[in-house]
Amino acid sequence: MLDEIGFVDVRIGEPVDTFGGSEGEERARAYEVFGYSFLARNPD
Amino acid sequence: MTGAVPVDAEQLREQVQHKYRAVATAPKATYHFHTGRVAAARLGYDMALVDSLPERAVESFAGVGNPFELRALESGERIVDAGSGAGFDSFVAARQVGSNGAVVGVDMTPEMLDKSSATADILGLQNVEFRKGLLEALPVEDGWADVVISNGVINLCPDKRAALSEIRRVLRPGGYLQFADIANGKPVPPEALRDIDLWTG
Repeated sequence: MLDEIGFVDVRIGEPVDTFGGSEGEERARAYEVFGYSFLARNPD
Repeated sequence: MTGAVPVDAEQLREQVQHKYRAVATAPKATYHFHTGRVAAARLGYDMALVDSLPERAVESFAGVGNPFELRALESGERIVDAGSGAGFDSFVAARQVGSNGAVVGVDMTPEMLDKSSATADILGLQNVEFRKGLLEALPVEDGWADVVISNGVINLCPDKRAALSEIRRVLRPGGYLQFADIANGKPVPPEALRDIDLWTG
């Protein structure tokens, strides 16, 4: 979707176990939910 | 990430506000997600910087990743924090851009705005401001921002395409969007997608 909106040079970071050890861990594990960092640039 | 929303947009916003109103006013309660310094450490924040912030600036942090991981902010940059919550990422950004930079946090939840604005006053930050608004209609002029940051909020927007288009509108040409959000590796069944609790926890 970032590409479709017009952003370029999109980068995605490594997955982070955002919900590990929290109340939401079981549900996060069920759907393999992780946190990610994204970087994108508005074209010049 | 898709733009389609299988739940009522207004109901989703109300549920999100209900959840994050609680995080603002009762940050020590138990939620589906980590909060405060525990969350910041887990997500790879610079803990020397985090530890230099007062508890009220950190305790309601409920991010899902680290928007500063792939690119550190530069001195003097103008930042929009889209979905600023109680202001944690805005305060981290303010430290990175320094007094020559500026930070505008935007959030839709009054309790979060009250808390973030009061904390900015306590910290004496003249270059940090919080405004009420939605990501789909950011109260920021065209091309103002060098960088838009966001953390765990775009995923909660009923119209992600509109939110991302709006973020691009407020960015200057060549500006950066750096955000964190969650993604699922396994497909979520339709009945679960209609469970509004999944969107907020």
